Amino acid sequence: MNLKRRLLMSAIAISMAGALPSFAAAEGTIAIITPSPDNPFFKAEADGAAAKAAELGYETMILVHDDDANKQSELFDSAIAAGVKAIILDNAGADASVAAVQKALDAGIPSFLIDREITATGVAKSQIVSNNYQGAQLGAQEFVTLMGETGEFAELLGKESDTNAGIRSQGYHDVIDQYPDMKMVAQQTANWSQTEAYTVMESMLQANPGIKGVISGNDTMAMGAYAALEAAGRTDVIVVGFDGSNDVRDSILAGGIKATVLQPAYEQAQLAVTQADAFLKNGSTGVDEKQLMDCVLINGENASKLETFALTE
Amino acid sequence: MTALTAPKSTNANALLLLLRLRTFVALILVLAFFSWAAPNFLSTANAVIVSKHVALNALLAIGMTFVIITGGIDLSVGSIVGLCAMVAGWLMLNGINLGIGYTVWFNTVEIVLIACAVGVSVGIVNGVLITRLGVAPFIATLGTLYIARGAALLSSGGRTFPNLSGSAEFGTLSFPFIGAGKILGLPIIIWLLVLVGLLAHYISRRTTLGRHIYAVGGNERGAQLSGVKVNRIKMFVYMFSGFCAALVGVVIASQLQASHPATGETFELNAIAAAVLGGTSMSGGRGRIGGTIVGAFVIGILSDGLIMMGVSSFWQTVIKGVVIIAAVVVDQAQNKLQARVALQQEAANK
Repeated sequence: MNLKRRLLMSAIAISMAGALPSFAAAEGTIAIITPSPDNPFFKAEADGAAAKAAELGYETMILVHDDDANKQSELFDSAIAAGVKAIILDNAGADASVAAVQKALDAGIPSFLIDREITATGVAKSQIVSNNYQGAQLGAQEFVTLMGETGEFAELLGKESDTNAGIRSQGYHDVIDQYPDMKMVAQQTANWSQTEAYTVMESMLQANPGIKGVISGNDTMAMGAYAALEAAGRTDVIVVGFDGSNDVRDSILAGGIKATVLQPAYEQAQLAVTQADAFLKNGSTGVDEKQLMDCVLINGENASKLETFALTE
Repeated sequence: MTALTAPKSTNANALLLLLRLRTFVALILVLAFFSWAAPNFLSTANAVIVSKHVALNALLAIGMTFVIITGGIDLSVGSIVGLCAMVAGWLMLNGINLGIGYTVWFNTVEIVLIACAVGVSVGIVNGVLITRLGVAPFIATLGTLYIARGAALLSSGGRTFPNLSGSAEFGTLSFPFIGAGKILGLPIIIWLLVLVGLLAHYISRRTTLGRHIYAVGGNERGAQLSGVKVNRIKMFVYMFSGFCAALVGVVIASQLQASHPATGETFELNAIAAAVLGGTSMSGGRGRIGGTIVGAFVIGILSDGLIMMGVSSFWQTVIKGVVIIAAVVVDQAQNKLQARVALQQEAANK
């Protein structure tokens, strides 16, 4: 029994030793840890980081934490054990992720954060986030213009426990509330979900048939709301989303949804890898830890240039 | 003796009747409340919209009711919804590649049938796990919950299948009609609920199959000894539940004209809630299709009404929980009262 177990262990050790040199052959391995790729936004992050890493000669290890801080912590253990050179992370919670990033730092592995910040500074080497507030203001300004600065509208909120949901809503209102003729008649969460947005939109439309516009905290909810409006024969209602997904791009090109705001997820992930590379080679990223990336308004004019969260020229 | 207990027992009987109709009473209460409190709640158009929303959960709950009556549980329905939505989306956009340079495309009817077959297949897997391999229903369907959800995610690599508006070439232009179309002024999903509801009611009240479903849940050993093919009955209920879930998946894909692999997450909990609210006993043997549908309406009207009032979704969740617990507490009270009335009547008859 004991012998068997020892044999098994050595077999595992040999196979691991066999696997390691293949990492070492390149510049080393970079771990890319993101939430679930069932949201194309996070998929774009992972793809962008992986593409840049490959370009710079790194191997990649792509991991998914499903917004579970505990799972994220385990993934960090695995990445540390695998001897990665750096970690690119879209984290699973501003407070809950600090310890994991610290753990990697203690093991001599630098982390580069994208999309969402953590509450501590000096632990990660970079924290590159989209300027959600600036993006929301862009979207809101376009929304107000499309509405002709007047009329009843509804707002679909994201998951209320998510900071970005609050920041976007704040950005929307800081612009829209300056126009006294813009009247919000309904505000509900649809938890970032297309299915929920569909039913919530139908009910809101029943309660407030005079709705002229809908501003949504993200693109999936905008898609759900537009499907409901279409079913109700109310394609005249102006819908504005946030994220810059391909689905909404197609809808904009087909004359459905009017506008969205692109968070440059792909570019952001690439930037994080570039900074990781600089840090590994020179011992410094050469820029501040906290960096904000501006969002870009997408409407009928530039929608055709949008592809998986990146604008092509 | 008789003279003394008679008025008391009439009171008890009246109370018992009220308790028996509690779901219906709850329905009338929520209806009355929202008609008063929510703007535009009481209108034909809104009644249709609410019914449309309720129908999705009610369909799942009908399948769930049969399963629970046999003493089981089906946790996989939400994942089956997602999987079948993805199957429909896949067939619309990709067809089936035969690998020799040919791709088979399907028309709307075939897509619906294939999606339903997939749902029933997951039900068969549940049934086999439970009847042949002796896995407890909670565990078996928890397993298929994960497997079906994983399969849904794998089917698209996590992406949404977008723009399912159909194409004339493959005869799928009618696909959006399932979700958006109307027959005699009512959305198709409502007709589906009426059809499946009537069918399930008929099965449960008028057929041997129905009697056997109750018998299995009431006393499985006894049912087996009196010649009921317990395993077959169990297979049927999980297949039926899978079928109902598949219908819901197809309808959602059609409504959104897109299918997302996370579709239907936690739907199983809403379905269980509707069944329990409608008086289905979690220990099996007791439950009514009609009750379940009314239960689904109570939940649906609550959530739609609160949305129309503009109440925070956090409160909606709390209220839903309170209503479910209240329903079970009342259920317990009814059982006790029923036992007491029966005892009194027995005593009176002596």
